[in-house]
Amino acid sequence: MKKIVIKNLNKIYNPNKANEFCALKNINLEIEDGEILILKGVSGSGKSTLLSLIGAISKPTNGDIVVNEHSIAKLPDIMSSAYRHKEIGFIFQAFNLLEGLSVTQNVIAPLSLTKMSEEEVREKVKKALLIANIEHKKDQKVAHLSGGEKQRCAIARAIVMEPNIILADEPTANLDKENSLLFIDILKTFKSLNKTVIIATHDILFDNLDFVDRYINIQDGAIV
Amino acid sequence: MSIFLSNEIIVFLLIELVLIVLMSISQVNIITILRHWDFNATTVLQYALEKKNYLINTILYFTIVCKIILFIFFVKSLDALAEIVPGAMCCAGVVGSNNYGNVLLLLKILIIFGFGIWIIINKLDLSFVSFPYLKQKYYLFSFLFACVILEAILEILYFVNIPLTVPVFCCSTVFEAPKLPFGYTQTMLVIIFYSLFSAILVLNYLKDAMTSFTCNLLFLFAAYYAITYFFGIYVYEMPNHKCPYCMLQKEYFFIGYFIWGSLFLGVFFGISPFLLEVLTKKHYTKMYRYSSLCLVITVIICTFYVAKYYLLTGLFL
Repeated sequence: MKKIVIKNLNKIYNPNKANEFCALKNINLEIEDGEILILKGVSGSGKSTLLSLIGAISKPTNGDIVVNEHSIAKLPDIMSSAYRHKEIGFIFQAFNLLEGLSVTQNVIAPLSLTKMSEEEVREKVKKALLIANIEHKKDQKVAHLSGGEKQRCAIARAIVMEPNIILADEPTANLDKENSLLFIDILKTFKSLNKTVIIATHDILFDNLDFVDRYINIQDGAIV
Repeated sequence: MSIFLSNEIIVFLLIELVLIVLMSISQVNIITILRHWDFNATTVLQYALEKKNYLINTILYFTIVCKIILFIFFVKSLDALAEIVPGAMCCAGVVGSNNYGNVLLLLKILIIFGFGIWIIINKLDLSFVSFPYLKQKYYLFSFLFACVILEAILEILYFVNIPLTVPVFCCSTVFEAPKLPFGYTQTMLVIIFYSLFSAILVLNYLKDAMTSFTCNLLFLFAAYYAITYFFGIYVYEMPNHKCPYCMLQKEYFFIGYFIWGSLFLGVFFGISPFLLEVLTKKHYTKMYRYSSLCLVITVIICTFYVAKYYLLTGLFL
């Protein structure tokens, strides 16, 4: 089953202005349910732009993105937020955590927007912390964690809503080799959970991983 | 002194000008949107139109809410003008000082009703992904925009023709001989008022859109006369003071704003379901309860003044 279908997608920043920049050129891509896909390319090639479009963070200049047979390219802002909340888990290079809060409080954040019972919330948080291998630090403030622990906390937060799609933008850029390998281990868990994972990276550690279904190279906004 | 040097009129006309400029910008863009809109297309033009649509919606929502608030300011301004228009004691004198006043006021009320409908359709339209009522709401706005231009012309004509040297007639004219429509008596007017009110409550409960629409319009007409020629005299506690505007003044605790405000809101919510059905081909029954609530408030306030007078004096006026 096709999870994500991208048709003739273009993204131009500052159209019709002197600083016009074409970030994506005529992208056509189909991603299967449960597929792990690595987007490779140098900085500025358009990987992050593609992720932000799939995550409905920004809108394309033209073309369409269909997720679960629904076009998300034209969703109004309020519905985009609901789509992101329900369907997408984001993992960022800079973690984007709330430093003053504990690991658990950060992971709970997406659940606070739902009407789940306290019991359900506790269960989901525990599960996410276990998958991300950060349960032992659950009461610690994020500000006191190492880079690798912060990334694992970010992973727990990304998966606590049990999204079907996980988008990771340069997830190991701020990690050392050991923590990067730990992250790759967690990816294997995602595979076993049948999550659709799209990772934008230029880290060579991601090359030739046996559980990755596909590698796509992006260069100057186009798939090569 | 020119009427255009009055503080209220300067402020009113400046705000009106800004709102008309914003609406004109929106109207130009609306024409582009209506000509090229195709929601299923994934072209550069369609995405640009969708962005434009959000911007226009925001501008229009802002201007329309401002316009509704400006209507209240307009009424207050007319009240204030009574101080510089010779012979005028309240809005009645200022509104009736030339032939444009009453037409302008009626047009303003109709435009406010139209904008109210627009706000509801806009809210419905934005609650769907595919903007199903986009064309209807923009055609409605285009019509209302034409009315706003007409209103602006009437405003200028009205203000220019307010006499500042010749005394105007005010409530004195209505002191003389109350003119009721179709030769009705006050008793008959009150019976019609309460009968229509009861009928509307039943129809609102039954959610009968078309009959409720008709009854609400009739009630608006009957209520105007009933409030001016019957309930008003109990508000003023003077049997010959038959004025719809004086009750807006401080001396009467601004009660007119509550009476007329709840009446207009009640009628608006009563007629909206039918108009929305015509425009969107769907049923909207939620507004009936607001209609009933607002009209109950109108009737309670009106009845309170009659009851209070009777309890204090043992007499009816």
